[in-house]
Amino acid sequence: MRNSLKLRYAANDLRRNKGVNAALVVILVLSAFMMATGAMVMERLFGSVERLFAEARAPHFIQMHMGDYDPAELDRFAEEHPEVEEWLIEEMVGFDSAAIAWHRPATGESGDLSDSLIDNLFVSQNTEFDFLLDEAGAIPRPAPGEVYVPVAYQQEYGLQVGDELTVATESGPRDLEVQGFVRDAQMASSLSSSTRFLVAEEDRRDLEEAGGGVPEIIVEYRLTDVDAAADVQRAYESDDALSRDGQAVTYRLMLMIYVLSDGLVAIALVFASLVLIAIALLNLRFVIRGTLEDEVREIGAMKAIGLPHRTITGLYLPKYRVMTLLACVVGGALAVAATGLLTRGIQVNYIEAPVGAATVLAPVLALVLVYVIVIGICRGVLSGVRRIQVVSALVHGSVHDERQTARRTRRQARRVRRSSLTAYRGGNLGGRLLLTDLRAEAGQWVLIPLVFLLAAVMMVLPMNMLNTFESPRFVTYMGVPEVDVRADLRFIDDLDSARDDVLAEMEGDDRLTDVRTFADVTYEVDVTVDGEEVRDLLRVEVGDYSGDTIEFFRGERPGPGQIALSVLAADEYGVAVGDDLTIHRDGEPTTVAVSGVYQSITGGGYGAKLHGDAPTGAVGHVVYADAVDGVDADAVAAEYDERFADASVLPMPEYTRQTLSNLTGSFQSTAVLAGVFGLGVASVITVMFLELRLTRERTRMGLLSAIGFSTREIIAQVRVKTLLAAALGTVLGLVFAATAGESLVSMLLDLSGLGIVDLEFITNPVLVYAAYPAVLIGAGYLGAVLRTARLRRADKSAWLTGG
Amino acid sequence: MSNAGGTMLQSRELTKTYYSTDPPSQVIKGVDLAVGRGEFLVVMGASGSGKSTLLYNVSGMDRPTGGSVSLEGRDLTSLGDAEMSRVRLTRMGFIFQQAYFLANLSIRDNILLPALKAAPRQKAAAASRVDALLERFDIAHVGSHGITQVSGGQLQRAAICRALVSEPAVLFADEPTGALNSSMSAEVMDALTGVHREGTTIVMVTHDPACAARGDRVIYLRDGLVVDSRALGTWSAEESSRREDDLYAWLRDMGF
Repeated sequence: MRNSLKLRYAANDLRRNKGVNAALVVILVLSAFMMATGAMVMERLFGSVERLFAEARAPHFIQMHMGDYDPAELDRFAEEHPEVEEWLIEEMVGFDSAAIAWHRPATGESGDLSDSLIDNLFVSQNTEFDFLLDEAGAIPRPAPGEVYVPVAYQQEYGLQVGDELTVATESGPRDLEVQGFVRDAQMASSLSSSTRFLVAEEDRRDLEEAGGGVPEIIVEYRLTDVDAAADVQRAYESDDALSRDGQAVTYRLMLMIYVLSDGLVAIALVFASLVLIAIALLNLRFVIRGTLEDEVREIGAMKAIGLPHRTITGLYLPKYRVMTLLACVVGGALAVAATGLLTRGIQVNYIEAPVGAATVLAPVLALVLVYVIVIGICRGVLSGVRRIQVVSALVHGSVHDERQTARRTRRQARRVRRSSLTAYRGGNLGGRLLLTDLRAEAGQWVLIPLVFLLAAVMMVLPMNMLNTFESPRFVTYMGVPEVDVRADLRFIDDLDSARDDVLAEMEGDDRLTDVRTFADVTYEVDVTVDGEEVRDLLRVEVGDYSGDTIEFFRGERPGPGQIALSVLAADEYGVAVGDDLTIHRDGEPTTVAVSGVYQSITGGGYGAKLHGDAPTGAVGHVVYADAVDGVDADAVAAEYDERFADASVLPMPEYTRQTLSNLTGSFQSTAVLAGVFGLGVASVITVMFLELRLTRERTRMGLLSAIGFSTREIIAQVRVKTLLAAALGTVLGLVFAATAGESLVSMLLDLSGLGIVDLEFITNPVLVYAAYPAVLIGAGYLGAVLRTARLRRADKSAWLTGG
Repeated sequence: MSNAGGTMLQSRELTKTYYSTDPPSQVIKGVDLAVGRGEFLVVMGASGSGKSTLLYNVSGMDRPTGGSVSLEGRDLTSLGDAEMSRVRLTRMGFIFQQAYFLANLSIRDNILLPALKAAPRQKAAAASRVDALLERFDIAHVGSHGITQVSGGQLQRAAICRALVSEPAVLFADEPTGALNSSMSAEVMDALTGVHREGTTIVMVTHDPACAARGDRVIYLRDGLVVDSRALGTWSAEESSRREDDLYAWLRDMGF
């Protein structure tokens, strides 16, 4: 009986405040949806990674190394540590993405992997553990001349079985036939900086001997207990006889990296959900307090007849329980659909985990969390019922006790002393009133600027990122000068003469100016890692840097006897501007001074620029040229591309676009999604806020109408207040995005090891500082217009009499 | 009935139907009303009889469903919202049961607001009118106070000041003493009587026969229709108890 009364009360209230309740449910559904999706994506990811780890027999501890090593010492180390169950040395040869091309003999289609920013390691299949698995989960063993390509590349470039893969080496191109695709437990992450191609052992050896690649090894261990990995790592690192100039990774760290990289979407969803829950809670607080104020006399009466506050609270809570429950059910259902879409990438890179108890439990727990937080806060706000005093409620219709009333009175007295109508000089009286109101009720209106600030940041940051990466000026971050035309020569037998042909033609072309060429040459560098001198391989662009060149993060362009390093290379070698660096080629050492450091995301972020004549035996050549004024660079590039079959000639913006198409593609979807989401949330909250606010402002509006303000003027006041609050939030959001937002993005990019440590947004000012704010503020204003339009038809007396 | 100056406010066949209820409810069912210039008309009736609805429809706060209303011979029902607002601003004053004020302005600024709205350039004249009203109704000492710092009686007197600041042709009062105790009620009614004596036309809705006795004429509303009226003549303190007795007897006959 009592329950049916409570439910009837809840149902009546839901019907009475349809608009507000609908908006609250929308926000709660979104929160629940994001939280549940985040949890499900995370569960799927964990399950899929674990399954891949199990089937591939992933190593528990690995140590990468470049250069010479002593197998006997490694043998000794394994014997000394009984927790080492199995171990192996995997030999690999790494090639730059630009050195790999593909060709489809059946159709004649072709392309290269140069826009991939990943290191490509050619390996042969292991025999004991750390297997590369094919799509069926089997352990493939390619015959000579065959290659298995990482699944990520299959997706990215649409590669097919039967395609031909060409690797550019210093001894000419090597051809391999694609036999299938492999999943890689060690390098599965979509943010992994390297990936493994599976070839026959003799092909791996041939690629290593052909030159142009970087030989590396990974020492891998499987342990009796995964938890011992950290101890083994410590023991390995304190053993001076062992080689270790590369990364060391444990099983748990790998798992964490995967979850952090491929789970980024999930983490972002949980974070966005928390922000939405915060917004929903601010709203709930606003709504519940309003309800208590509206119904204070009823509450006073209930208290007067002796109902305990728990019973009174119990009357209001079911409504919120129903709404939150509904939101959790709907949000959960939507999450099931969204998870399928969001985990496609995970299913490709890892092995899809079977559905188990955790699959169901993860979203349910996430939804329970949302429910508990929301209802907890509702209870907290409703506990205000306890403080309502019978006399204040019944006589004065006030939710405040005497002390609170006295405090409010003092505050109000101070406020009215500060604002005097006689002090105002002409202008609009309505404007004066609304400013006074906004100041006095800032505590309530703050919700709007807050929401618009978040929406603006949410919309602008991805758009700035997209615009930066799409800008032709982004070449600055690619270690490439801002020129009009770029010609690339690779994958051909006689590179040097092909380069000479293109160069001669361009230099003789009066439509082009400032033609210069750079050779892609592999040098060895002496570096000291943990007190041990080792030799690293470094890809260096050699040429004349006296003309227009790139922007330097520190220092300046290299002159004769000087070299400039990418940020990551300078960091790894521990050198700064002014330091000397010894580089070797064909055993010949040369000492050069570091003239500058530049930011670059190409070649995995590692590279250098050396001033000098291009030596023979380069892996590739690049020719840059500027078009003279009035010449269409696109047309010239197309003409050269047509004429020189061996060269890939592109206008620079096209080169940037192609190279970064993967990154910009994901930024584009993020920017669109964030834009729609930001606009949606901002307008829903505006309408809901006004729905509530107008209820509170009814008597004020009625009074203004009685004393002679027209409905148009009254409506204008509400709209202008909304506009001002939305504009304030949006402007603050833009300022935040341009200042802290930029630093935040720079910091994240730095952490991601992409090769950029200081990103300056290249913004589209018209879009970001005019169109976006106009659309966002416009959405809020439109919400206000739609909500206030109804006021025109209202009987003004109803505003005063509550009818 | 002091109707020497002609008709100030008139309604013909006035109806008001609320379509938001199911079925629609007709609250005013064709009221013909004439309020003389300088008259103090009191509207009485049981709860739900349509008293307040009649007041808000003849004052232009609400739009009647049918019929017409005119003020000083000008048809109000044909006016647009902006023109009607202007009429309320310059020719009408309102006093409500609850003393509605803008919480963020002082008592004095609340009173000043309609005057400034009506004539933004005549700030000094408006200010001196407000000061005179504050003095007259004995609330000058609380003029700078916030609305929560004064008593209910002071607040309702401030509401009368605000209603008078634009020197209206007619003053509408909806249960002006409904939320006050008897001594504060008397204070407010004395103030209204004084205003009336100075020639202001008043239309007041009340439940309280003691307050109604202050009027020149009382009309009785039942189910949206004026069923009877009673002329009381000009009020004086000496005759107040006789008038009240007379009014009580009439109201009993009306079933009040």
